Amino acid sequence: MEIKTAEYNIWAEGAIIHYEGTLRLSGTDAYQDILTMMQAVLAGNPPMITMDLTQLEFLNSSGINLLAKFTIELRKHPDVAVKVLGSTRIPWQSKSLPNLQKLHKGLELVLA
Amino acid sequence: MNTSFGETGQTHSKDSFSISVVLKEGPLSKSWSQAGTTSDFVAEVLARHGAKSGLDYTETRHTIVYLVNELLENAIKFSFPGDVQIRCSLEDASFELSVINQIDPEIVPNFQALIQELTSRDPGELLIERIEANAADEESSASGLGILTLMNDYGVRMGWHFSNAVAGSGVVLRTQAYLTFH
Repeated sequence: MEIKTAEYNIWAEGAIIHYEGTLRLSGTDAYQDILTMMQAVLAGNPPMITMDLTQLEFLNSSGINLLAKFTIELRKHPDVAVKVLGSTRIPWQSKSLPNLQKLHKGLELVLA
Repeated sequence: MNTSFGETGQTHSKDSFSISVVLKEGPLSKSWSQAGTTSDFVAEVLARHGAKSGLDYTETRHTIVYLVNELLENAIKFSFPGDVQIRCSLEDASFELSVINQIDPEIVPNFQALIQELTSRDPGELLIERIEANAADEESSASGLGILTLMNDYGVRMGWHFSNAVAGSGVVLRTQAYLTFH
């Protein structure tokens, strides 16, 4: 599974979802394909889902809402562990990713 | 009509380091990718300038890109015939941004009600509440989340000023944002 453009690349490797580049799509509808791909990973019912954001340089607020929505969906699957990998090199991640933990207490956030 | 919400004064002196961009009415003022291109450009110029006086280049650049991009996305999303004007300035560690565009008078009452709600309570609590509400409602457009991330995650102070257009039938909206870099 892969969604690739000149600006960004998103792909799943088993239950690890990788995000790379700059994502500033125009609202909830424009993010639907990406959400569908993330939901397909969850549908496989893995013991753990990892979202690796360490190469995602920019995400607009519609994209942050996508991550938040998916986090809420994951919360309904307490048997699936959730790990989010972020980078302290990229300012938006330290600022906005802690909000995901407020939505899902079991989410493990690793900012390195 | 002259209505203001939040902080709307312009505090920077005329000799602050500033950059202005006008997206002329037409394809540019309606093109989604223009928000990204313009925010990258103004942020690069201001962050390079700020770095000379000791501001962290990466942090300054990223924050300005996020802020300008969010406000321009809103201006483009609610575009009404007219130019979109952007003015950013940096004075020491203090950053000021204004975005001026025209909006459809019909959306003004709902938008003002949204602003009143967004500015009435703790932005962190509101952000989580609205994310939960958006996730529960398939039809929701997630309005206001961008502004809440600016206020909560970035510590941006916001203001909105509405006035009647001199020419044309739109309402002129000036959105102000203020931030101090540490």
